[in-house]
Amino acid sequence: MVSESSAKWVLLAYRIPREPSTPRISVWRKLRKLGVGHLVDGLVALPLDARNQERLEWIADEVLEAGGHASIWVAQSTTASQERDLARQMGDAVAVEYRALTDAARDAAGLPPPQRRRTLARLRREAQRIRGRDYFSVAEADAARAALADLGHAAEEVAR
Amino acid sequence: MRWATRRGCHVDRAACAWLIRRHLDDDPAFVFVDDPADVPGDATPFDMRGVDLAHHGDDCTFETILRRYHLDDPVLWDLARLVHEADLADDRYDAPEAHGLDVICRGLSMVADDDTVLAITAPMFDGLYEYRRRALMLGREPS
Repeated sequence: MVSESSAKWVLLAYRIPREPSTPRISVWRKLRKLGVGHLVDGLVALPLDARNQERLEWIADEVLEAGGHASIWVAQSTTASQERDLARQMGDAVAVEYRALTDAARDAAGLPPPQRRRTLARLRREAQRIRGRDYFSVAEADAARAALADLGHAAEEVAR
Repeated sequence: MRWATRRGCHVDRAACAWLIRRHLDDDPAFVFVDDPADVPGDATPFDMRGVDLAHHGDDCTFETILRRYHLDDPVLWDLARLVHEADLADDRYDAPEAHGLDVICRGLSMVADDDTVLAITAPMFDGLYEYRRRALMLGREPS
């Protein structure tokens, strides 16, 4: 969780035409992949760093190219509690993904070795994607990491 | 010619600078700026907001430059998959090396200024190009 309320955020304020739907869906997918926090409809946030700012800037340009409006801002919450709410919303979304990954890794333990190894490779890629949007290091990451490690050990045992 | 891009070169900008040096301009000079408004009048901006040589749709800047300058070398397009995944990680391409490339470039930018990052990554991209050229020729990973 955020340790201090003075953290800075980069915000994207945007509005994109409903039709055509292709650019709108593309933008929505990219924001989802980044794991942005939603402040209100059309206002999303990421913890401020050069990389996150750049990623939102490219999306802003995509919105503009699609005939919408977009602007990028750097902001600070005036209270710790509203910042916590935003961080919690983002963390909860990532936690759900980690839990699903943990379950999938445990379920895969019973698979025959070749399938188990393929599933392990897929789940490792999935874990990497989730980590990319885990901005607050949620606790569920540990269980997912442990479940993947167990599955990895099992796969190595077979390989020996 | 002068080329301008924003400060803090990661994988896409470093790869673009390499591409410019190897395929577009024998003697390029790179200028690094913080704001698009600071781009010198005689410089061609790339990988910055609101300029032509930037991300477009799902393309990263490296891919945009290949398109704009009609660079149709299949090895460059093969490298583009790697740069795209290292920069965007959107699973458009299957490029498992991409994550490593991204980490290397990010680490470099933590310890070196932009000129140094470009100087170090140039031979790295030369090597990647040669590796992928041989891989395409052989139809498998070269030994």
